[in-house]
Amino acid sequence: MNWYAMKRQLNGWAILSFIALLFIVLPGVIVLVELFAPVNDNWQHIREYLLPRYVSNTLIIMFATGILTTIIGTSLAWFITVYDFPFRRFFKWALILPLAIPPYIGAYTYHGILNYTGVIQTTLRNDFGLSVNQSYFNIMTIQGTIFIFTLFLYPYIYTITRAFLHNQSSSMIENARILGRGSWDIFFTVVMPISRVAIIGGVSLVLMEVLNDYGVVKYFGIQTFSTAIFSTWFGMRDTSSALKLAGTLMILVIAILTMERLVRGRKQFSYATTKVKPLKPRPLSGWHRYAVLGYVSTVFGIAFAIPFIQLVAWTVLTFEQVFTATFFRLVWNTVSVAFIATIIILVFALIIANYTRLFPSNMTRVISKVTTLGYSIPGAAIAIAVITLFLLLDEWVLNVALALNLGQTFVFRTTLIMLIFAYVIRFLAIGYNSIESGFEKVGKSFTEASRMLGWGTVQTFFRVDIPMIKGAIMSAFILVFIDIMKELPLTLFLQPFNFSTLATQAFKYVSDEKIHEAALASIVIVIMSGLLIFVFHKVLDKEAD
Amino acid sequence: MNKKYMALGLSAALTTSLLAACASTAEPTTSGENETSEESKVVNVYSSRHYDVDKELYKQFEEETGVKVNVVEGKGEELLERLNTEGENTEADLFITADAGNLHQAKENGHLQAVDSDVLESNIPDKYRDTDNEWFGLTKRARVIVYAKDRVNPEDLSTYEALTEEQWNGKVLVRPSENMYNISLLASFIEVNGVDQAKEWAEGMVNNFARDPQGNDRDQAKAVVAGEGDVAIMNTYYMGLMLNSEDAEEKKVAEQLGVFFPNQETTGTHVNVSGIAMTKASKNAENAKKLMEFMSDPSAQEQFASANYEYPVNESVEPNELLKSWGEFKEQDINLSVLGENQQEAIRLFNEAGWK
Repeated sequence: MNWYAMKRQLNGWAILSFIALLFIVLPGVIVLVELFAPVNDNWQHIREYLLPRYVSNTLIIMFATGILTTIIGTSLAWFITVYDFPFRRFFKWALILPLAIPPYIGAYTYHGILNYTGVIQTTLRNDFGLSVNQSYFNIMTIQGTIFIFTLFLYPYIYTITRAFLHNQSSSMIENARILGRGSWDIFFTVVMPISRVAIIGGVSLVLMEVLNDYGVVKYFGIQTFSTAIFSTWFGMRDTSSALKLAGTLMILVIAILTMERLVRGRKQFSYATTKVKPLKPRPLSGWHRYAVLGYVSTVFGIAFAIPFIQLVAWTVLTFEQVFTATFFRLVWNTVSVAFIATIIILVFALIIANYTRLFPSNMTRVISKVTTLGYSIPGAAIAIAVITLFLLLDEWVLNVALALNLGQTFVFRTTLIMLIFAYVIRFLAIGYNSIESGFEKVGKSFTEASRMLGWGTVQTFFRVDIPMIKGAIMSAFILVFIDIMKELPLTLFLQPFNFSTLATQAFKYVSDEKIHEAALASIVIVIMSGLLIFVFHKVLDKEAD
Repeated sequence: MNKKYMALGLSAALTTSLLAACASTAEPTTSGENETSEESKVVNVYSSRHYDVDKELYKQFEEETGVKVNVVEGKGEELLERLNTEGENTEADLFITADAGNLHQAKENGHLQAVDSDVLESNIPDKYRDTDNEWFGLTKRARVIVYAKDRVNPEDLSTYEALTEEQWNGKVLVRPSENMYNISLLASFIEVNGVDQAKEWAEGMVNNFARDPQGNDRDQAKAVVAGEGDVAIMNTYYMGLMLNSEDAEEKKVAEQLGVFFPNQETTGTHVNVSGIAMTKASKNAENAKKLMEFMSDPSAQEQFASANYEYPVNESVEPNELLKSWGEFKEQDINLSVLGENQQEAIRLFNEAGWK
């Protein structure tokens, strides 16, 4: 690279992108270095007694959840896009709502419904004199874990596949219809193959949620990779082995992401005609109508309505006790921290996405890849890295202060800055993906026109680029905000003094075996996420039109 | 050229303002910690006890002394790991856990300091505090056997060890091994019976499980009443909480269960404490000591006993009526530090025995 080219690369965009990149790479490096460190006694013990079970449990859960969410997600997307039936417009967005219930809240709610003192068994026992076989009602098993993940994660596949079918498949499906194919045939021979890229994109999101979940498996006592990391870290007090496990997990996630990229890379989304015509749903008649309505309402009922109603009932039961002045504080903490972190993430995501778009080179391609990999770093590794980093920072600040004779210094560790920093590392990839795809859709021609007409990069950025991808920014905001609001392990481990969020408060009540008391905090999370999802749906709809 | 600088300047300004934004949000929680001077009116606590009664006590302490209590809540082992990472830079003055094992580990890792206080020494008996006065027990809880009153004759129950016998095959319930109460239980057996017998016990239990260990202590109680098994191991205060639960069904469950204190003829029932310790790095040592003394005071001990059904360590305070109705019992005669010393060994034994 010659001097001029170097200079061209080194602008404000580049510098800020590098800073963001450094933050993300750091925990990854800590993990990878540890992966090659010599093993200790504990590691042998873990490998002999625990690893086989961790690996097989994790694989079983991933595999089954992947298949079940695909079946439910794509079939729902198909019914909603292709057919018209009663309440279709309601279900179209209501089927995304289960995403508003974090899996760990779903897990304890279902346990509360199904266990011996839950509403079902109590009713059977007290009103009908029936005792049931407990093993049929036991949800704290691998099957139960798969059930919970499937219910609350299928919307990832549903949303992506539906958007794809809605926008891109009309000509193919209509042609198949004209050529006399039946619905089943079309679903399996046309829809599944053409939407496989969308489906795989959704499945990889689901699998990453499953791999990084801490709340569900911890509560159910299922031994998976993520519980293994934490129990090695805290139980055996072996940070080195914990990081080794984290590294293994990270490699697994990177493999999934790479696979997804490979599939997507070979087959780019492309419109069949220049005029994209959305598919017009076909009315259903006779029993088909009710069969589809029945299926759709069953999924909605189990994945949203039932747990929601149960949470409402528990909230009513414990409202007076739990709803105190400090509760507003919880809501405020949750919202303000999520808001600040989301804004920072969006700013960085916009800068990096714009930089990689405007200055394409090998380097920017690497930056783009690494940014998306941030999602693959296990929470435990982020926590360890962030604490290490902030201790160094505080030491440095103290030394500077001593040198300058400043007396007092600001302490960064155990503050919100540390927590927000961790959120940024964890969730930058989500915001970035959304914004990157927004830029991809728009292309570069408008930017180039604006530059040609005399505006600079920055002016163009604010007056052309940003307004053009408003929708993508909005969806990025919503997705990141919801994720931060639900986040558990980082918030638990890095919380500052006197700081609780709705999520940590709910989890603390649950760990104290007070399921009913956890309902209020949980339902506020669910309602806030639900409202945001509704807005998200509106944004998507507007984009589609 | 100008535009590049503009981009740079603009982005820099943006980042600074955002950093400033989060710094200002962070301020309310940290302003107190910055005052390292002697007269600062705060005490910073890492606590794994997040019961409502604790919050109530902190409030009373604030009203009495004007010292603000700042709290980070978390699991004992997580907070200990946080202390390990932060070392002498920690902001915490006090470390409160629901398990003596974690207190001992904190001591071993050099995070604690001895506290010289006549008040603490007179309020807390020797056996419930560290030999070097680096940590002090606040409340006691016994890990007992509960049984289905309609199916089990308490005369058939004797010891923890007896649960591994043939007659209890497929009838024993207990929570997963990652739980600290179980780890401390096994750690105490390593001390009392030796490693080999402790391992045999864990294997024998696994052999007699009614189901794979799952859920928490209350879930074991429910499973006994539901008929999944006949006996369960659980902590005493959960029985108290369930018997006084607002949920009528939970109450019914607890009413169908009997409490049995095992090993009365032999080594004694396993007792653990929740306790408090001052960090070596404490910057508010005076306030921290005040809070420690406050928590051991009869009035605070009374509240622990009545609100959370724990046994007070202060012998001048009577346990709750319910606890008294279960009668007096013989406790394991061990120094609670061994719970920490044998912790790692216990975790390994559990894994080797295949106790989930």
